[in-house]
Amino acid sequence: MKPLTAFIKKEWMEMFRNGKLTILLILFILFGIMSPALAKLTPALYEMLAETMKEQGITISQMEVTALTSWMQYFKNAFMELIVLVCMFSGILTNEYQKGTLIPMYTRGLSRSNVLFAKFLTTVIVWTLCYYLCFGITYAYNAYFWDNSIVYNLSLSVFCLYLLGIWLITIIFAVSALLSSGAAVMLATGGIFAALYFMSLIPKISKYLPVRLLNAGELVTKTSSAATSSVLTVDTCYPAIAVTLILCLFNYIIAYLFLRQKKL
Amino acid sequence: MLTLKHVSKHFGSHEIIKDLSLHVKEHTIYGFLGQNGAGKTTTMKMILGLYPVDSGEILVQDTPVTYGETKTNHYIGYLPDVPEFYGFMTPTEYLTLCADIAGLLDTDKKSQISEILELVGLIDTNKRIHGFSRGMKQRLGIAQALLGTPKLLICDEPTSALDPVGRKEILDILHTAKKKTTIIFSTHILSDVERICDEIGILHNGRLAHSGTKEELLEDRPDNGFFIEFQTPSDLEKFHTIYPEGTRSDITTLQYPDSKNADMLTALSLLSTHSIVPKRVEQWEPTLESLFMEVIEK
Repeated sequence: MKPLTAFIKKEWMEMFRNGKLTILLILFILFGIMSPALAKLTPALYEMLAETMKEQGITISQMEVTALTSWMQYFKNAFMELIVLVCMFSGILTNEYQKGTLIPMYTRGLSRSNVLFAKFLTTVIVWTLCYYLCFGITYAYNAYFWDNSIVYNLSLSVFCLYLLGIWLITIIFAVSALLSSGAAVMLATGGIFAALYFMSLIPKISKYLPVRLLNAGELVTKTSSAATSSVLTVDTCYPAIAVTLILCLFNYIIAYLFLRQKKL
Repeated sequence: MLTLKHVSKHFGSHEIIKDLSLHVKEHTIYGFLGQNGAGKTTTMKMILGLYPVDSGEILVQDTPVTYGETKTNHYIGYLPDVPEFYGFMTPTEYLTLCADIAGLLDTDKKSQISEILELVGLIDTNKRIHGFSRGMKQRLGIAQALLGTPKLLICDEPTSALDPVGRKEILDILHTAKKKTTIIFSTHILSDVERICDEIGILHNGRLAHSGTKEELLEDRPDNGFFIEFQTPSDLEKFHTIYPEGTRSDITTLQYPDSKNADMLTALSLLSTHSIVPKRVEQWEPTLESLFMEVIEK
């Protein structure tokens, strides 16, 4: 247990001292502010646009902004948050292989399973912290300016995106155990995501795919049954959640098996 | 302490190590000599369980080494050729991490870290490792490897990238460490091996070409001999007529390779008898360099 806690401590020291945590916190705070700020600015933007359009003979009706407008923006930002996550953590294992910093740790007796678990735990905690900080900021602003009670299934939809982030983290680890450069990990993770996204165009398998969770924003406007098969609902999101959880476990096991055989 | 039994290792179709067997005794410094690419680092990484062995067996303290997560690493300290550290840490923080991973008791940890930093001359260094020079990193590498007083210390070319002062410092530290630990020390710098190693193994083309103490390796070497440098070519001609042994290496020098002391005495006696005063008479002895060159030229 002592080697594991020592290595987790090292991971956190690295997060603080190389500024990664600070950068992530700043970015996610900005993402959190961005959704209500854009919603708040929308009427002013429409007004400015209306003046120009009026001269061309087009009339734009007044737009009503609610908490839903802000939340819809929040879910649109999710893809950017996932890109930030992949960019920041794609080198978490490969940087150590390339520099050779893990060799003294292994030769001192640190097990590869401990390395994997310490890094995975740290990444998940950082993602949880940043993601829910972003959510908390948006929630607080929305509650202050508007009324959050008009939004349906907020916890579930927010959890869906959070889980998608965890799945991406497990993909990063599985790919990192196989490849040796951060750029390759980033490309492979993006490739897997894109492949699943295209697979989701096939209706029969679409509801089982993790990328389906990217549409979690659709849950906040619906209560239950689907309006159309392509829209994510409470009923249709559970298969995707279940498959994502199973894949997370599968990816972690793959990461462990490959890391155990990795030549350093 | 360390035994390799018929170890072989391939990388693709290339056989790096071929049926390598060796034994390293406790509290000795074993110099592992070989050209670049001879298989020294591969052998060390197999001992550390960082590379799998294709065939054969490696034992550390009579415990077999297994690839991946080997228990034998608890007995070993390792200094890579270019040690890399977490640059955001100070030496004390880094050694504390290593001590925790090695499972050192908290009571021993602080005193051991101070003692070891004192030994490598980094006790007053509180700056982060990313600002360290190569020599300082090498010294910290030794500190890391010696932490917990390992039974076996493996050093992979620890001096090859250092200036003469840095090299001397590292060799002195290794010589001091020998009292408590067994050391395997790979290098291609022959003078370093001659200076501190008790036993030497010459690795060539994946095989152990020679192994033993320096004296054992140089015993019965045919490259004993002497040469006479004359003042003028005519002196050389005169002497060579009287004593037609030896070979000319230039117009004023005669060489007598593979000769014994008696041959040199005969030559000196003849020089005296015929009143020929040489410029220089010098004996040469077999060296590790000549042995090494002979091995790699085979």
